[in-house]
Amino acid sequence: MKRTLMTLGLALAAGLAGAQSNILQLPLINDPILNPLIAPDLGSILVNKVLFPGLVRPDENLQPVPDLAKSWTVTNGGLVYTFALRDDVRWHDGKPFTADDVVYTFKTAADPKSGSRLASDFSSIKSVEARGKYTVRFTLSRPFAPFLILLGHNAGILPKHLLEGKDLSSNTAFNRQLPIGTGPFKVSRVVPGASVTLEANKDYYGAAPKLAGITFKVVPDLNTQVAQLRSGQLDWVTLEPSNLASVQNVPNIAIKQANAVQHYLVFFNLKNPLFTAPKVREAMQYAVNRKAIIDGILKGYADYPTGTIPTALRTYYDKSIKPITYNPAQALKLLAQAGWKPNARGTLVNAKGEPFKFTLIVDKGNATREQSALAVQQDLKKIGMDVTLQTLEFGTLVRDYLIPGKYDANLIWWTTPPDPDQYSFYATGQDNNEASWSNARADSLLKRGRETVDPVARKNIYNAYQRLTMQDPPVLVLYYPKELQAISKDLTGVPDLGIRDALRYTERFQLR
Amino acid sequence: MAELATTRAYLAQAPAQRSWRRLRRDPVALGSAATLVLVVVFAFLGPVVRPVDPDVLDLARQLAPSTLAQPLGTDESGRDVLVRLMLGGRISLMVGLFAVLVSVSVGTLVGALAGFYGGWLAGLLMRVTDGILALPAFFLSVLTLTFFGPGLVPLVLVIGLTSWMGLARLVRGEVLKFREEQYVEAARALGSHDSRVLFRHVLPQILPTLIVNASVGISTAILAESALSFLGLGIQPPSASWGNMLSGAQNYFYTAPRLALYPGVLILITVLATNLLGDAVRDATDPTD
Amino acid sequence: MLSPGYVARRVLHALVVLAVVAVVTFFIVRLAPGGPAALADPALRDAERAVIEARLGLNDPLPVQFLKFVGNAVRGDLGQSFLFGTPTTQVIASRLGNTLILAGAALTLTLLVAVPLGTLSGLRPHSWLDRLVSFISVVVLAVPVFWLGLILIIALAVLRPVLPAGGMYTTGMEGNLVDLLRHLLLPAVVLASASIAELLRYTRSSVRSAAKLDHVRTARAKGLPQRTVHVRHVLKNALIPVVTVIGLQLPRLVGGAAVTETIFAWPGMGRLSVEAALGRDYPLILGVTLVVAAAVVLFNLLIDLVYPLIDPRIRTDG
Repeated sequence: MKRTLMTLGLALAAGLAGAQSNILQLPLINDPILNPLIAPDLGSILVNKVLFPGLVRPDENLQPVPDLAKSWTVTNGGLVYTFALRDDVRWHDGKPFTADDVVYTFKTAADPKSGSRLASDFSSIKSVEARGKYTVRFTLSRPFAPFLILLGHNAGILPKHLLEGKDLSSNTAFNRQLPIGTGPFKVSRVVPGASVTLEANKDYYGAAPKLAGITFKVVPDLNTQVAQLRSGQLDWVTLEPSNLASVQNVPNIAIKQANAVQHYLVFFNLKNPLFTAPKVREAMQYAVNRKAIIDGILKGYADYPTGTIPTALRTYYDKSIKPITYNPAQALKLLAQAGWKPNARGTLVNAKGEPFKFTLIVDKGNATREQSALAVQQDLKKIGMDVTLQTLEFGTLVRDYLIPGKYDANLIWWTTPPDPDQYSFYATGQDNNEASWSNARADSLLKRGRETVDPVARKNIYNAYQRLTMQDPPVLVLYYPKELQAISKDLTGVPDLGIRDALRYTERFQLR
Repeated sequence: MAELATTRAYLAQAPAQRSWRRLRRDPVALGSAATLVLVVVFAFLGPVVRPVDPDVLDLARQLAPSTLAQPLGTDESGRDVLVRLMLGGRISLMVGLFAVLVSVSVGTLVGALAGFYGGWLAGLLMRVTDGILALPAFFLSVLTLTFFGPGLVPLVLVIGLTSWMGLARLVRGEVLKFREEQYVEAARALGSHDSRVLFRHVLPQILPTLIVNASVGISTAILAESALSFLGLGIQPPSASWGNMLSGAQNYFYTAPRLALYPGVLILITVLATNLLGDAVRDATDPTD
Repeated sequence: MLSPGYVARRVLHALVVLAVVAVVTFFIVRLAPGGPAALADPALRDAERAVIEARLGLNDPLPVQFLKFVGNAVRGDLGQSFLFGTPTTQVIASRLGNTLILAGAALTLTLLVAVPLGTLSGLRPHSWLDRLVSFISVVVLAVPVFWLGLILIIALAVLRPVLPAGGMYTTGMEGNLVDLLRHLLLPAVVLASASIAELLRYTRSSVRSAAKLDHVRTARAKGLPQRTVHVRHVLKNALIPVVTVIGLQLPRLVGGAAVTETIFAWPGMGRLSVEAALGRDYPLILGVTLVVAAAVVLFNLLIDLVYPLIDPRIRTDG
């Protein structure tokens, strides 16, 4: 009895060796939905990137390179895309992959009634048809330059033979237990609430995977993720700048930053007369010390903004544009031109003596955003604006304040596909243009930008748009954040990309 | 039932004077009371002596070490830790106090109503009491706070409204007991109101238990606020509370553990002193000991 | 001893309590501002939003939705979880077992530690053991749970890696009992800590007052051996309140382990309930609440039915 107890005690203390050989361990915060068309959150998207390759995938410059498609041609002035597919691909259940699967996937993806969350990405598709077993032709209703980028973004290809005629959302046998894709790893085991385990796919069409498997573990608390990274139970954690301190100077952990196609911003509701004058919004760019926010709150892991196009879009970002730096005096000068002058107590008032007073809302629970909002509030107070800060639960903020337009100012962020097309965000009357910004020249540039296929012409258009948004800012862009990764030094072969796109290359990952 | 059985012991009450004498001689009681006075002074007078803006960010002085001007250094946003501990204490103590006030008022009211009026009203009230007892209080708090938003008032209400049920049962039991006893009958005959009976006869009888309940309630509320802060549902930044300071310090556990130590220790000694004082009051009023 | 009338009345009470729980939760949840997480994505187009709302069945007037919910619930159908897309009952079933493992471990730990220690210190009031035990139990009651959890993780999993930092199994060892026990130890200790301290205090004080009861004194006066007196009279009387206290701990162990389960990444009901609340998953919130409440009501019902059997002083006709 005593001996059994002792043995058990020893086993408990030491653990059993050799449990994890060559298996990569990544965190999730909740159970994923294993279908790229309906995946609602980042965690699901990450797993799907491994399981479901697309026709193309992004290279380190975020430009599309072949994946399931061997090659493609663009004809008819950007209206017709013809893809030659690989003929050596098999689904995880052994059935061959053909053009019919691609046709099924995009017919479903473009149909909002299917529950697809990619419908707006692919609303430009007029028809998609198989031309033989391994050729697919897309015809667009209008030229749409981001098309290829979007194909490599979230649009993993689904198996027609398993899903045709079935409702996407309620097909839980597929979405939750046994998804069938074509990727380098396939699902071997799902433990609800705990983990999704993938094993190497021996029939993978590309280079043979070097890892034996990948386990996605559900670890909801970020500090626990860090503890698990430090104790070797996880290999790769995406961090907030505030977590940085807990992984710095740990021998086996490397800190890496990757570009993220994101911009953090403050919406000023243009239905509120306070903000309608472009001079007022221009003044905000001088009034807020964005350098201090980047250095102090983001610990330097962000780029200083010039307009709404983030630096991560290297091909389109115009480096020559001079950033607007912190200059409260200049802000006061611009505000005075717009009719706002400080009174005896230093409060900004208009001709009628009304104060410059508004509420800034931010979602609660994220230290980085809360602190940024606090910094914005304090900077604007310094030049005499009366700003109240209100924190709200994210769902409430979006549904009850942002969407109905019942707010003055809101600190929020956009994550976009790796393409400069921002039509739905900043063109007049578009659904995601929550600030109700309207500028005729911007409308025309944004429209031309998404329709121009020629890269050089396209770059010029977006550079002009970027310059325009410095003078008539649609929003106050605060920073372009970097994605912060803490990675076990044992992990190699990871391309220089954000985690979303890096997971398109898991067959190259290697653990020492 | 069991609650009644254990509380019955308190009820054959010792004369108040004797209890008070006992309490004054109990070193644990004295020590706890002194600690609580110190904590209250720290939280309520501290910020008056030290008028520093607790919310102002100083991004150039993050995690600064102790200096003469800032004896406890600064936090991750360059804010003064000492003044935040003081104001955080104010909030945490207020959460505890007001939550208990809510809980005691509701518990007494429901118990008294059910006791005095009986019938269908008592049935309904006691079923609702059972219903809320069957719900995990913490989950109910999480639910209400996610849906109606966190903040001091919702927090106090939620904690108070999920902790009155035991008291309600107790008060009802006492009321029933006293209604059957003669001198209450006599008092009623003289035209005394229910509320008079409640305040003159029932509440004094259960006062010791009430005090113990309140002390447990205050500590539970302070701890609940810290647990809710961990889930992001406590007092919202930039306002400080010990709970949200503790929860915010998690990121700096490895590099600046003092940020977690200060609020943690303050919570610990406050809750400890409150509980010990409550125990001492109970012991002092326990006639069988 | 148990009259059919008594049993029927208790069962009816239990059902009424469940109905109260369902009504209260439904209306708290649905009258609140905000909406399901699926709708909280600001990048959604208006048309996509409308499709999602229709699919989730949020377009009907509230009373109609309530009636539909009641109608389905009576037939055991708690609807589809918004977050998981699977039947709510299935989601809960997948987590309930894990919670029972954790709660069971914590309860066992609580009983093993609290009852013997509490009894000993109750029988020897003011001894050094009594003082030490009371001191430790008040201190433990004063420590915030997540603080304790984090300190244990950092101490025993990161700085001195003897135990895993959360999760239920090591990758590739799912189902291995030793591995499960290793993962279970820390969360069970954290979850049990407050219960141990609380039960200790109760056991101690009820043993103390039982030792003073008249018939115990009589037994002692009759010269029965100390040990027999303790076991036969004191413990029997003392354990009745202890059973009640365990009943009161149950909701916390089953549904209130949210913080512990979050810190230790334990896939149980507590974590699920927080996920459901944060994601505004209406069916799942109702489902979790009802299941937890039902478990508690059932347990209390059992206690009510068992009391008259162990304590003849409690009459069943009252």
